Amino acid sequence: MNLNYAFMLEDIPVVLSALPRTLGLTFCSLFFAIVTAVLFGICILKNIPVLKQFLIGLNTVIKGIPLMVQLLLCYYAIPYLLRAADGFLGYVYNPKNPSYFAFAVVAFAINYGAYMTDVVVSSYRAVERGQLDAAYSVGMTAFQGMFRIVIPQAVVISIPNLSNYFMWLLKATSLASVVNVFEILATARMSTANNYAILEGYIVAALIYWAVCVIFEKGLNCLNKKMSRYRNDIVVS
Amino acid sequence: MWQGHELFLSSLPKLVPYIPVTLLCFLAPTAVSLVLGTLICRIRVGRKNALYYITSLFVSFFRGTPGLVQIFLFFFGLPKVFELFGVNINGWDAVVFYIIATCCNFSSFVSEALRGAYEAVDKGQIEAGYSIGYTRFQCFYHVIAPQTLQIALPNLKNLEIDLLKGVATAYVIGAIDVMGAAQRIISQHRGYGQIWILLAAAALYFVMNVVIEAVFNFLTYICNRHERVRI
Repeated sequence: MNLNYAFMLEDIPVVLSALPRTLGLTFCSLFFAIVTAVLFGICILKNIPVLKQFLIGLNTVIKGIPLMVQLLLCYYAIPYLLRAADGFLGYVYNPKNPSYFAFAVVAFAINYGAYMTDVVVSSYRAVERGQLDAAYSVGMTAFQGMFRIVIPQAVVISIPNLSNYFMWLLKATSLASVVNVFEILATARMSTANNYAILEGYIVAALIYWAVCVIFEKGLNCLNKKMSRYRNDIVVS
Repeated sequence: MWQGHELFLSSLPKLVPYIPVTLLCFLAPTAVSLVLGTLICRIRVGRKNALYYITSLFVSFFRGTPGLVQIFLFFFGLPKVFELFGVNINGWDAVVFYIIATCCNFSSFVSEALRGAYEAVDKGQIEAGYSIGYTRFQCFYHVIAPQTLQIALPNLKNLEIDLLKGVATAYVIGAIDVMGAAQRIISQHRGYGQIWILLAAAALYFVMNVVIEAVFNFLTYICNRHERVRI
Protein backbone atom coordinates (compact mmCIF):
# COMPACT_ATOMS: atom_id res chain seq x y z
CA MET A 1 0.00 0.00 0.00
CA ASN A 2 1.23 3.47 -0.77
CA LEU A 3 1.24 4.94 2.69
CA ASN A 4 3.29 7.92 3.72
CA TYR A 5 5.58 6.06 6.11
CA ALA A 6 7.89 9.02 6.72
CA PHE A 7 4.91 11.06 7.84
CA MET A 8 3.73 8.28 10.12
CA LEU A 9 7.08 8.26 11.90
CA GLU A 10 7.13 11.97 12.47
CA ASP A 11 3.45 11.91 13.47
CA ILE A 12 4.06 9.54 16.38
CA PRO A 13 5.47 12.14 18.80
CA VAL A 14 2.75 14.60 17.79
CA VAL A 15 -0.04 12.16 18.59
CA LEU A 16 1.81 10.88 21.64
CA SER A 17 1.79 14.40 23.06
CA ALA A 18 -1.99 13.99 23.47
CA LEU A 19 -1.59 10.87 25.58
CA PRO A 20 -1.57 12.83 28.89
CA ARG A 21 -4.90 14.34 27.92
CA THR A 22 -6.42 10.94 27.19
CA LEU A 23 -5.08 9.56 30.45
CA GLY A 24 -6.21 12.68 32.32
CA LEU A 25 -9.68 12.29 30.87
CA THR A 26 -9.69 8.61 31.84
CA PHE A 27 -8.54 9.11 35.41
CA CYS A 28 -10.74 12.17 36.05
CA SER A 29 -13.76 10.29 34.72
CA LEU A 30 -12.81 7.21 36.71
CA PHE A 31 -12.51 9.24 39.90
CA PHE A 32 -15.87 10.96 39.50
CA ALA A 33 -17.49 7.74 38.32
CA ILE A 34 -16.34 5.98 41.48
CA VAL A 35 -17.58 8.88 43.60
CA THR A 36 -20.97 8.73 41.86
CA ALA A 37 -21.07 4.96 42.17
CA VAL A 38 -20.27 5.03 45.88
CA LEU A 39 -22.94 7.67 46.56
CA PHE A 40 -25.53 5.77 44.52
CA GLY A 41 -24.41 2.51 46.09
CA ILE A 42 -24.82 3.87 49.61
CA CYS A 43 -28.33 5.04 48.79
CA ILE A 44 -29.23 1.63 47.37
CA LEU A 45 -27.59 -0.36 50.16
CA LYS A 46 -29.18 1.80 52.85
CA ASN A 47 -32.61 1.05 51.33
CA ILE A 48 -33.69 4.67 51.33
CA PRO A 49 -37.32 4.24 50.23
CA VAL A 50 -38.01 6.43 47.21
CA LEU A 51 -34.42 7.29 46.35
CA LYS A 52 -33.45 3.65 45.91
CA GLN A 53 -36.11 2.92 43.31
CA PHE A 54 -35.40 6.20 41.60
CA LEU A 55 -31.67 5.48 41.38
CA ILE A 56 -32.21 1.95 40.09
CA GLY A 57 -34.51 3.32 37.40
CA LEU A 58 -32.06 6.08 36.58
CA ASN A 59 -29.23 3.58 36.24
CA THR A 60 -31.31 1.46 33.88
CA VAL A 61 -32.03 4.48 31.71
CA ILE A 62 -28.40 5.61 31.69
CA LYS A 63 -27.23 2.13 30.76
CA GLY A 64 -29.79 1.91 27.98
CA ILE A 65 -28.67 5.06 26.18
CA PRO A 66 -25.55 5.08 24.02
CA LEU A 67 -22.54 6.86 25.46
CA MET A 68 -22.27 8.89 22.27
CA VAL A 69 -25.77 10.30 22.78
CA GLN A 70 -25.02 11.10 26.41
CA LEU A 71 -21.81 12.81 25.44
CA LEU A 72 -23.58 15.01 22.91
CA LEU A 73 -26.42 15.68 25.37
CA CYS A 74 -23.90 16.88 27.96
CA TYR A 75 -22.10 18.87 25.30
CA TYR A 76 -25.29 20.72 24.36
CA ALA A 77 -27.14 20.81 27.69
CA ILE A 78 -24.43 21.77 30.18
CA PRO A 79 -23.94 25.28 28.73
CA TYR A 80 -27.66 25.94 29.30
CA LEU A 81 -27.35 24.72 32.87
CA LEU A 82 -24.28 26.86 33.42
CA ARG A 83 -26.06 29.88 32.02
CA ALA A 84 -28.96 29.21 34.36
CA ALA A 85 -26.45 29.02 37.22
CA ASP A 86 -24.98 32.41 36.31
CA GLY A 87 -24.77 34.64 39.38
CA PHE A 88 -25.43 31.74 41.73
CA LEU A 89 -22.88 31.78 44.60
CA GLY A 90 -20.80 34.29 42.71
CA TYR A 91 -20.34 32.04 39.68
CA VAL A 92 -19.79 33.94 36.45
CA TYR A 93 -20.78 32.18 33.26
CA ASN A 94 -18.25 32.65 30.49
CA PRO A 95 -19.78 31.53 27.17
CA LYS A 96 -16.62 32.27 25.22
CA ASN A 97 -14.43 29.61 26.73
CA PRO A 98 -16.40 26.45 27.60
CA SER A 99 -14.40 23.61 29.07
CA TYR A 100 -15.22 20.72 26.76
CA PHE A 101 -12.91 18.53 28.80
CA ALA A 102 -15.11 19.01 31.87
CA PHE A 103 -18.28 18.33 29.84
CA ALA A 104 -16.81 15.05 28.63
CA VAL A 105 -15.81 14.13 32.18
CA VAL A 106 -19.39 14.71 33.31
CA ALA A 107 -20.75 12.42 30.59
CA PHE A 108 -18.24 9.65 31.28
CA ALA A 109 -18.72 9.95 35.03
CA ILE A 110 -22.49 9.61 34.71
CA ASN A 111 -22.31 6.67 32.32
CA TYR A 112 -19.61 4.70 34.10
CA GLY A 113 -20.97 5.71 37.49
CA ALA A 114 -24.15 3.86 36.59
CA TYR A 115 -22.19 0.75 35.68
CA MET A 116 -19.95 0.93 38.72
CA THR A 117 -22.91 1.28 41.07
CA ASP A 118 -23.60 -2.38 40.37
CA VAL A 119 -19.99 -3.20 41.19
CA VAL A 120 -20.17 -1.30 44.47
CA VAL A 121 -23.45 -2.91 45.48
CA SER A 122 -22.52 -6.44 44.50
CA SER A 123 -19.04 -6.36 46.03
CA TYR A 124 -20.43 -4.98 49.28
CA ARG A 125 -23.00 -7.75 49.35
CA ALA A 126 -20.31 -10.32 48.53
CA VAL A 127 -18.66 -9.69 51.90
CA GLU A 128 -20.09 -12.19 54.29
CA ARG A 129 -22.52 -10.88 56.86
CA GLY A 130 -20.62 -12.83 59.51
CA GLN A 131 -17.59 -10.59 59.06
CA LEU A 132 -19.48 -7.62 60.44
CA ASP A 133 -20.93 -9.70 63.26
CA ALA A 134 -17.42 -10.86 64.11
CA ALA A 135 -16.26 -7.24 64.17
CA TYR A 136 -19.05 -6.34 66.59
CA SER A 137 -18.28 -9.36 68.74
CA VAL A 138 -14.70 -8.18 69.32
CA GLY A 139 -16.06 -4.82 70.40
CA MET A 140 -15.59 -2.71 67.29
CA THR A 141 -17.98 0.18 66.71
CA ALA A 142 -20.14 0.23 63.60
CA PHE A 143 -17.74 2.72 62.02
CA GLN A 144 -14.68 0.60 62.77
CA GLY A 145 -16.36 -2.55 61.55
CA MET A 146 -17.27 -0.87 58.31
CA PHE A 147 -13.93 0.79 57.58
CA ARG A 148 -11.57 -1.85 58.94
CA ILE A 149 -13.38 -5.05 58.08
CA VAL A 150 -16.04 -4.75 55.41
CA ILE A 151 -14.80 -2.05 53.05
CA PRO A 152 -11.24 -3.40 52.61
CA GLN A 153 -12.69 -6.76 51.63
CA ALA A 154 -15.27 -5.21 49.33
CA VAL A 155 -12.53 -3.19 47.61
CA VAL A 156 -10.47 -6.31 46.97
CA ILE A 157 -13.52 -8.07 45.52
CA SER A 158 -14.35 -5.15 43.27
CA ILE A 159 -10.88 -4.70 41.76
CA PRO A 160 -11.20 -7.16 38.83
CA ASN A 161 -14.48 -5.55 37.77
CA LEU A 162 -13.15 -2.05 38.22
CA SER A 163 -10.06 -2.77 36.14
CA ASN A 164 -12.34 -4.13 33.45
CA TYR A 165 -14.34 -0.91 33.43
CA PHE A 166 -11.13 1.07 33.44
CA MET A 167 -10.07 -0.58 30.19
CA TRP A 168 -13.48 0.16 28.68
CA LEU A 169 -13.26 3.75 29.82
CA LEU A 170 -9.77 4.19 28.40
CA LYS A 171 -11.07 3.16 24.98
CA ALA A 172 -14.33 5.06 25.36
CA THR A 173 -12.47 8.35 25.83
CA SER A 174 -11.83 8.30 22.09
CA LEU A 175 -15.51 9.27 21.72
CA ALA A 176 -14.66 12.61 23.33
CA SER A 177 -12.98 13.56 20.06
CA VAL A 178 -16.42 14.40 18.65
CA VAL A 179 -17.04 17.00 21.37
CA ASN A 180 -13.87 19.03 20.79
CA VAL A 181 -11.64 17.38 23.36
CA PHE A 182 -8.20 17.07 21.84
CA GLU A 183 -7.23 13.63 23.00
CA ILE A 184 -5.33 11.07 20.91
CA LEU A 185 -7.89 10.57 18.16
CA ALA A 186 -8.72 14.23 17.62
CA THR A 187 -5.03 15.14 17.69
CA ALA A 188 -4.29 12.47 15.11
CA ARG A 189 -7.00 13.89 12.87
CA MET A 190 -5.73 17.43 13.38
CA SER A 191 -2.14 16.49 12.62
CA THR A 192 -3.16 15.16 9.21
CA ALA A 193 -4.99 18.32 8.22
CA ASN A 194 -2.05 19.64 6.20
CA ASN A 195 -1.31 16.73 3.89
CA TYR A 196 -4.52 14.67 3.77
CA ALA A 197 -2.67 11.60 5.09
CA ILE A 198 -5.80 10.77 7.07
CA LEU A 199 -5.35 7.03 7.14
CA GLU A 200 -1.75 7.34 8.35
CA GLY A 201 -2.89 9.51 11.24
CA TYR A 202 -5.51 6.98 12.27
CA ILE A 203 -3.01 4.12 12.03
CA VAL A 204 -0.68 6.00 14.37
CA ALA A 205 -3.56 6.63 16.78
CA ALA A 206 -4.55 2.97 16.68
CA LEU A 207 -0.99 1.81 17.38
CA ILE A 208 -0.68 4.17 20.34
CA TYR A 209 -4.02 3.06 21.78
CA TRP A 210 -3.00 -0.54 21.30
CA ALA A 211 0.31 -0.07 23.10
CA VAL A 212 -1.29 1.84 25.98
CA CYS A 213 -4.05 -0.73 26.38
CA VAL A 214 -1.63 -3.66 26.36
CA ILE A 215 0.56 -1.98 28.97
CA PHE A 216 -2.39 -1.20 31.22
CA GLU A 217 -3.85 -4.66 30.78
CA LYS A 218 -0.58 -6.29 31.82
CA GLY A 219 -0.26 -3.96 34.80
CA LEU A 220 -3.83 -4.57 35.94
CA ASN A 221 -3.40 -8.32 35.56
CA CYS A 222 -0.37 -8.10 37.87
CA LEU A 223 -2.43 -6.09 40.35
CA ASN A 224 -5.28 -8.59 40.19
CA LYS A 225 -2.88 -11.45 40.85
CA LYS A 226 -1.37 -9.62 43.80
CA MET A 227 -4.79 -8.78 45.18
CA SER A 228 -6.18 -12.28 44.77
CA ARG A 229 -3.98 -13.32 47.69
CA TYR A 230 -6.21 -11.28 49.97
CA ARG A 231 -9.37 -12.98 48.79
CA ASN A 232 -10.27 -15.82 51.06
CA ASP A 233 -12.00 -17.92 48.42
CA ILE A 234 -15.20 -15.99 48.28
CA VAL A 235 -18.04 -17.82 46.62
CA VAL A 236 -20.18 -15.24 44.88
CA SER A 237 -23.53 -16.89 44.37
CA MET B 1 -33.20 25.02 27.74
CA TRP B 2 -36.90 24.25 27.93
CA GLN B 3 -37.59 25.70 24.51
CA GLY B 4 -38.18 23.45 21.56
CA HIS B 5 -39.68 20.53 23.43
CA GLU B 6 -42.23 20.11 20.65
CA LEU B 7 -39.26 18.95 18.60
CA PHE B 8 -39.11 15.82 20.73
CA LEU B 9 -42.46 14.59 19.43
CA SER B 10 -42.04 15.92 15.93
CA SER B 11 -38.62 14.31 15.40
CA LEU B 12 -39.61 10.90 16.76
CA PRO B 13 -41.55 9.86 13.61
CA LYS B 14 -38.66 11.12 11.49
CA LEU B 15 -36.21 8.90 13.39
CA VAL B 16 -38.32 5.74 13.45
CA PRO B 17 -37.72 4.88 9.73
CA TYR B 18 -34.00 4.56 10.51
CA ILE B 19 -34.48 1.86 13.12
CA PRO B 20 -34.03 -0.90 10.48
CA VAL B 21 -30.58 0.53 9.63
CA THR B 22 -29.62 0.43 13.29
CA LEU B 23 -30.91 -3.11 13.54
CA LEU B 24 -28.95 -4.10 10.43
CA CYS B 25 -25.80 -2.59 11.97
CA PHE B 26 -26.58 -4.67 15.03
CA LEU B 27 -27.74 -8.00 13.59
CA ALA B 28 -25.14 -8.38 10.83
CA PRO B 29 -22.14 -8.19 13.21
CA THR B 30 -24.01 -10.43 15.66
CA ALA B 31 -24.52 -13.14 13.05
CA VAL B 32 -21.01 -12.92 11.63
CA SER B 33 -19.38 -12.75 15.06
CA LEU B 34 -21.10 -15.85 16.32
CA VAL B 35 -19.45 -17.81 13.51
CA LEU B 36 -16.14 -15.97 13.38
CA GLY B 37 -15.93 -15.73 17.16
CA THR B 38 -16.48 -19.46 17.51
CA LEU B 39 -13.74 -20.16 14.96
CA ILE B 40 -11.30 -17.79 16.68
CA CYS B 41 -12.20 -19.33 20.03
CA ARG B 42 -11.58 -22.82 18.60
CA ILE B 43 -8.15 -21.73 17.38
CA ARG B 44 -7.28 -19.97 20.62
CA VAL B 45 -8.07 -22.92 22.88
CA GLY B 46 -6.12 -25.31 20.66
CA ARG B 47 -2.49 -25.95 19.87
CA LYS B 48 -0.08 -23.02 19.74
CA ASN B 49 0.71 -22.95 16.03
CA ALA B 50 1.12 -20.04 13.64
CA LEU B 51 -2.66 -19.59 13.36
CA TYR B 52 -2.88 -19.27 17.13
CA TYR B 53 -0.45 -16.38 17.20
CA ILE B 54 -2.11 -14.65 14.24
CA THR B 55 -5.55 -14.79 15.85
CA SER B 56 -4.10 -13.72 19.19
CA LEU B 57 -2.66 -10.65 17.49
CA PHE B 58 -6.03 -10.03 15.80
CA VAL B 59 -7.93 -10.30 19.08
CA SER B 60 -5.38 -8.19 20.94
CA PHE B 61 -5.57 -5.43 18.35
CA PHE B 62 -9.34 -5.30 18.14
CA ARG B 63 -9.74 -5.44 21.91
CA GLY B 64 -6.95 -2.97 22.52
CA THR B 65 -8.08 -0.13 20.28
CA PRO B 66 -11.27 1.92 20.52
CA GLY B 67 -14.10 0.97 18.21
CA LEU B 68 -14.18 4.52 16.90
CA VAL B 69 -10.57 4.28 15.71
CA GLN B 70 -11.31 0.95 14.02
CA ILE B 71 -14.28 2.43 12.19
CA PHE B 72 -12.07 5.21 10.85
CA LEU B 73 -9.31 2.76 9.96
CA PHE B 74 -11.67 0.60 7.91
CA PHE B 75 -13.41 3.58 6.36
CA PHE B 76 -10.18 5.09 5.08
CA GLY B 77 -8.01 1.98 4.87
CA LEU B 78 -10.22 -0.58 3.18
CA PRO B 79 -10.53 1.36 -0.11
CA LYS B 80 -6.72 1.54 -0.22
CA VAL B 81 -6.40 -2.20 0.34
CA PHE B 82 -8.94 -2.94 -2.38
CA GLU B 83 -7.13 -0.50 -4.66
CA LEU B 84 -4.20 -2.93 -4.68
CA PHE B 85 -6.44 -5.46 -6.41
CA GLY B 86 -7.83 -2.87 -8.76
CA VAL B 87 -11.27 -2.79 -7.14
CA ASN B 88 -12.86 0.55 -6.44
CA ILE B 89 -15.08 0.43 -3.36
CA ASN B 90 -15.29 4.14 -2.71
CA GLY B 91 -18.93 4.05 -3.68
CA TRP B 92 -19.91 1.67 -0.91
CA ASP B 93 -22.24 2.95 1.74
CA ALA B 94 -20.70 3.96 5.06
CA VAL B 95 -22.95 1.39 6.73
CA VAL B 96 -21.01 -1.39 4.99
CA PHE B 97 -17.70 -0.10 6.34
CA TYR B 98 -19.21 0.19 9.79
CA ILE B 99 -20.47 -3.38 9.63
CA ILE B 100 -17.13 -4.78 8.45
CA ALA B 101 -15.21 -2.94 11.17
CA THR B 102 -17.68 -3.98 13.83
CA CYS B 103 -17.63 -7.61 12.71
CA CYS B 104 -13.88 -7.73 13.36
CA ASN B 105 -14.23 -5.87 16.65
CA PHE B 106 -17.17 -7.82 17.95
CA SER B 107 -15.96 -11.27 16.95
CA SER B 108 -12.81 -10.77 19.01
CA PHE B 109 -14.92 -9.85 22.03
CA VAL B 110 -17.26 -12.78 21.42
CA SER B 111 -14.32 -15.15 21.02
CA GLU B 112 -12.95 -14.05 24.40
CA ALA B 113 -16.34 -14.50 26.06
CA LEU B 114 -16.69 -17.95 24.52
CA ARG B 115 -13.14 -18.89 25.45
CA GLY B 116 -13.72 -17.99 29.05
CA ALA B 117 -16.92 -20.03 29.06
CA TYR B 118 -15.27 -22.99 27.32
CA GLU B 119 -12.55 -23.07 29.93
CA ALA B 120 -15.21 -23.09 32.62
CA VAL B 121 -16.81 -26.24 31.18
CA ASP B 122 -15.76 -29.29 33.16
CA LYS B 123 -13.28 -31.25 31.04
CA GLY B 124 -14.70 -34.48 32.45
CA GLN B 125 -17.87 -33.73 30.49
CA ILE B 126 -15.96 -33.87 27.21
CA GLU B 127 -14.23 -37.08 28.19
CA ALA B 128 -17.58 -38.53 29.18
CA GLY B 129 -18.89 -37.57 25.76
CA TYR B 130 -16.06 -39.41 24.03
CA SER B 131 -16.37 -42.37 26.36
CA ILE B 132 -19.93 -43.06 25.25
CA GLY B 133 -18.74 -43.09 21.64
CA TYR B 134 -19.56 -39.57 20.45
CA THR B 135 -17.67 -38.33 17.42
CA ARG B 136 -15.91 -35.00 17.71
CA PHE B 137 -18.83 -33.19 16.10
CA GLN B 138 -21.40 -34.92 18.30
CA CYS B 139 -19.33 -34.09 21.35
CA PHE B 140 -19.20 -30.45 20.28
CA TYR B 141 -22.88 -30.27 19.44
CA HIS B 142 -24.33 -32.19 22.38
CA VAL B 143 -21.84 -31.56 25.16
CA ILE B 144 -19.59 -28.54 24.65
CA ALA B 145 -21.82 -26.06 22.81
CA PRO B 146 -24.85 -26.10 25.15
CA GLN B 147 -22.77 -25.75 28.30
CA THR B 148 -20.47 -23.10 26.83
CA LEU B 149 -23.44 -21.07 25.62
CA GLN B 150 -25.14 -21.27 28.96
CA ILE B 151 -22.07 -19.95 30.75
CA ALA B 152 -21.33 -17.32 28.11
CA LEU B 153 -24.86 -15.92 27.79
CA PRO B 154 -24.72 -13.27 30.54
CA ASN B 155 -21.47 -11.99 29.07
CA LEU B 156 -22.84 -12.11 25.55
CA LYS B 157 -25.89 -10.15 26.66
CA ASN B 158 -23.72 -7.33 27.95
CA LEU B 159 -21.65 -7.38 24.78
CA GLU B 160 -24.74 -7.29 22.55
CA ILE B 161 -26.16 -4.33 24.45
CA ASP B 162 -22.84 -2.56 24.05
CA LEU B 163 -22.89 -3.41 20.37
CA LEU B 164 -26.33 -1.89 19.93
CA LYS B 165 -25.29 1.25 21.73
CA GLY B 166 -22.11 1.36 19.70
CA VAL B 167 -24.17 1.80 16.53
CA ALA B 168 -24.62 5.41 17.63
CA THR B 169 -20.95 6.00 16.77
CA ALA B 170 -21.52 5.03 13.13
CA TYR B 171 -22.61 8.53 12.24
CA VAL B 172 -19.03 9.82 12.45
CA ILE B 173 -18.28 8.22 9.09
CA GLY B 174 -21.59 9.31 7.63
CA ALA B 175 -23.71 6.23 8.12
CA ILE B 176 -27.32 7.28 8.58
CA ASP B 177 -28.80 5.27 11.41
CA VAL B 178 -31.01 6.71 14.17
CA MET B 179 -28.15 8.83 15.49
CA GLY B 180 -27.11 9.97 12.02
CA ALA B 181 -30.70 10.94 11.27
CA ALA B 182 -30.85 12.86 14.55
CA GLN B 183 -27.69 14.73 13.63
CA ARG B 184 -29.21 15.48 10.24
CA ILE B 185 -32.37 16.90 11.82
CA ILE B 186 -30.21 18.97 14.17
CA SER B 187 -28.35 20.50 11.26
CA GLN B 188 -31.64 21.12 9.45
CA HIS B 189 -32.71 23.18 12.46
CA ARG B 190 -29.32 24.91 12.46
CA GLY B 191 -28.56 23.59 15.92
CA TYR B 192 -31.84 24.69 17.48
CA GLY B 193 -33.27 22.33 20.10
CA GLN B 194 -30.50 19.74 19.77
CA ILE B 195 -31.24 18.46 23.25
CA TRP B 196 -34.78 17.44 22.41
CA ILE B 197 -33.83 15.74 19.16
CA LEU B 198 -31.05 13.84 20.93
CA LEU B 199 -33.48 12.86 23.67
CA ALA B 200 -35.79 11.45 21.01
CA ALA B 201 -32.91 9.36 19.65
CA ALA B 202 -32.02 8.32 23.19
CA ALA B 203 -35.60 7.18 23.79
CA LEU B 204 -35.51 5.02 20.66
CA TYR B 205 -32.19 3.45 21.66
CA PHE B 206 -33.55 2.79 25.12
CA VAL B 207 -36.59 0.99 23.75
CA MET B 208 -34.39 -1.13 21.47
CA ASN B 209 -32.16 -2.01 24.41
CA VAL B 210 -35.13 -3.09 26.49
CA VAL B 211 -36.23 -5.40 23.68
CA ILE B 212 -32.76 -6.90 23.27
CA GLU B 213 -32.49 -7.42 26.99
CA ALA B 214 -35.86 -9.19 27.06
CA VAL B 215 -34.76 -11.46 24.20
CA PHE B 216 -31.60 -12.41 26.02
CA ASN B 217 -33.43 -13.02 29.27
CA PHE B 218 -35.67 -15.40 27.36
CA LEU B 219 -32.62 -17.16 25.87
CA THR B 220 -31.09 -17.47 29.32
CA TYR B 221 -34.36 -18.95 30.53
CA ILE B 222 -34.23 -21.54 27.75
CA CYS B 223 -30.55 -22.36 28.30
CA ASN B 224 -31.11 -22.90 32.00
CA ARG B 225 -34.10 -25.20 31.53
CA HIS B 226 -32.26 -28.33 32.67
CA GLU B 227 -31.57 -26.68 36.02
CA ARG B 228 -35.24 -26.18 36.72
CA VAL B 229 -36.44 -29.77 36.29
CA ARG B 230 -34.74 -30.77 39.52
CA ILE B 231 -37.24 -31.29 42.29
